[in-house]
Amino acid sequence: MKRLRIRVTFVPMASFLYHLGRYALLIWRVFSKPEKVSIYRKRLFDEMVTLGLDSLGIIMIISLFMGAVITIQTSANIDSALIPAYTIGFTARQSTILEFSPTIMALILAGKIGSNIASEIGLMRVTEQIDALEIMGVNSGSYLILPKILAAVVINPFLVVISMFVSIGGGYMIAQFTDIVSVPDYVYGIQFDFRPFHVNYALIKSVIFAFIFTSIPAYQGYYASGSALEVGKASTRGVVFSSIVILIANYVITQLVLI
Amino acid sequence: MIEVTGLYKSFGENKVLDDITSSFEEGKTSLIIGASGSGKSTLARCLVGLVAPDEGGVLFDGRDFLGMTGKERRGMLKEVGFLFQGSALFDFMTVEENIRFPLDMLTKMSTDEKAERVQFVLDRVELKDAHKLFPSELSGGMKKRVGIARAIAPNPKYLFCDEPNSGLDPQTSIVIDNLIHEITQESNITTVVITHDMNSVIEVGDYIMFLHQGKNWWEGDNKSILKTENQEVLDFVYASEFMKKIKA
Repeated sequence: MKRLRIRVTFVPMASFLYHLGRYALLIWRVFSKPEKVSIYRKRLFDEMVTLGLDSLGIIMIISLFMGAVITIQTSANIDSALIPAYTIGFTARQSTILEFSPTIMALILAGKIGSNIASEIGLMRVTEQIDALEIMGVNSGSYLILPKILAAVVINPFLVVISMFVSIGGGYMIAQFTDIVSVPDYVYGIQFDFRPFHVNYALIKSVIFAFIFTSIPAYQGYYASGSALEVGKASTRGVVFSSIVILIANYVITQLVLI
Repeated sequence: MIEVTGLYKSFGENKVLDDITSSFEEGKTSLIIGASGSGKSTLARCLVGLVAPDEGGVLFDGRDFLGMTGKERRGMLKEVGFLFQGSALFDFMTVEENIRFPLDMLTKMSTDEKAERVQFVLDRVELKDAHKLFPSELSGGMKKRVGIARAIAPNPKYLFCDEPNSGLDPQTSIVIDNLIHEITQESNITTVVITHDMNSVIEVGDYIMFLHQGKNWWEGDNKSILKTENQEVLDFVYASEFMKKIKA
């Protein structure tokens, strides 16, 4: 019984350390000196379009509705006459800047971009395209993964800022078209006690989360093996693990930076 | 010339390669044949470093490939072309981009020189007008040809082909075999072909290594293989009714 308990504890820990070590080695390879900078530059811009611009639509739709819903929810949960009406705008802004735009958007992008990256690289692995790169003497890790990480790290802060504006705009729309909160109260609320540092905090998070939701699915795809079924599993693992790591990182960053 | 000495490889308890020693000469098409699971593809992958052997040596014109550092090995691999079983063309690139890719990454050729080379190899594999097509728009035979074109584009000294005929009809198989054979002789390349296709063996086998149970069971050429008395080789060569009738 005791032996079984040791095994049950040891095997997942050994597996975790194995993957952590292999992930670290892959990231080391990814950031080693590229063979031809010009080729990487072109790939970087392509990835910015694929990972960034192609995600703009979904980011804007989700942000708009989330901003509207946050405003309605806040209003619905404030039933004390002692709390001023501008609190609704203030809460909507704070929720958006501190958590919704950087964190929830990162989780959404982990699903959209992460599954895309894991399946793309995984498919390249099982169809021997990565072997083909290696045989040509090309650092496949760097060639395939570096442009994706850099593109996401560069483009994600812009997406987060756009998300902030659209989300707060969603709340404004509610103020404009319903009688839940007046427009002057909402506008006063979103300006009340504004701290620029909170935007910086959100941008720091957006950069770290972009690294997470690209590198972890890339790792899962890079080491996929076998059939298309395995690529699907790698894609799922990429999304699940990157989401969990984003949530843990969010907690750590918040504890370190805000408290 | 590629020399292999005492190569061993196991996956767990399963011994896949067992003391493989041989040499593949330049200007000749060397075939590694054997039944499925005999270790052919693993041997080819060991030769180019995709799989690390447990023991043994691989010399490319006297240069110890397995003893090289990662950087030296990447430099050495610039002299190697590899045609994969599934062609392994990059899905997101056109035919032209696929062929130009090794030139972009490995050479210092000018844009015009690269365009000229791409045109030359496309002409050589008889796909003059396929530049702008994507791999998904190509037939199996066309993919193999593009794979060959990409492999020979940087003028390799060594060419490896992993089952170049798999999934192809007999006529296309012969065209691909002859293409590989001609390119080998024209450019004096050391070519190693992994196959279990008997047509290839008879058509282009300048040197043949028969792998059985992970061992180098028999060596010879396309003439001597038909006359051998080695039972395992005979079972392989005359497995089909058609070959049995020819023998009779």
